Amino acid sequence: MIRGSCLCGDVRLEISGAVSGGSHCHCSMCRKAHGAAFGTYALANAADFRIVSGADRITRHASSPGVSRTFCSRCGSTLQWLIETKPDIVEIALGVLDDDPGVRPARHIFVGSKAPWHEITDDLPQHATWPGKP
Amino acid sequence: MLRGSCLCGGVRYEISGPLVGALNCHCSMCRKAHGAAFRSRAGVRATDFRWTQGEKLVTWYETSPGTHRGFCRVCGAKLLSRFDFEAKWYGLPLGTLDDDPGVKPGMHVFVDYKAPWFEITDQLPQHPEWPPR
Repeated sequence: MIRGSCLCGDVRLEISGAVSGGSHCHCSMCRKAHGAAFGTYALANAADFRIVSGADRITRHASSPGVSRTFCSRCGSTLQWLIETKPDIVEIALGVLDDDPGVRPARHIFVGSKAPWHEITDDLPQHATWPGKP
Repeated sequence: MLRGSCLCGGVRYEISGPLVGALNCHCSMCRKAHGAAFRSRAGVRATDFRWTQGEKLVTWYETSPGTHRGFCRVCGAKLLSRFDFEAKWYGLPLGTLDDDPGVKPGMHVFVDYKAPWFEITDQLPQHPEWPPR
């Protein structure tokens, strides 16, 4: 079981299965939503994901067509990235996890939109947008 | 002049002075607040900072006594910290800047609380908590 919670503790979540596919995303939308250099997300099966408490605290923002991002309305913690075309998947902002998810981010995506004040110094593969796209 | 805005564009701000002391903070509160590996922030003088749009959309949460973190209530973008004990300075998360601030984080702090899934691979100084004063 992997547990997570927002900063104020009102929202608590659990993932009963494995998470996979960790990526650091440098797109401008992730940078703004997180207010950070990049967002880091990993995937869980929706069937394995459960909001334990604070579901009524979660605000959903439709940030682009078919995509929404969620955060705690009390403390602002960014929680999830959700896409309508993949309802079986929940992308979880790793920063709110209390337990080690085991998975390690394996790539940087949208480095074409990277912040000018942040340098990538690791050896992970870098993709200008999505992997597999020019 | 530096400009910044939230993800939905409802909140906009301008900064007319320098950003100072930029750093990356790995403490658990910053990681949770941002939902990210770490927080990159700089200090800005309160007199140099101005909301130009949507100040009423900023929700403040007191994360520890006297420290308030502000975010957009529509899109959740993390925008600013203010301090009851140091009203002359704000803490600015760099992620919502639209312009290049010309400064870069110069150190990592609270690395004892770093996320297990993130490795620091740059050459910047690392401090277990705050740097020695």
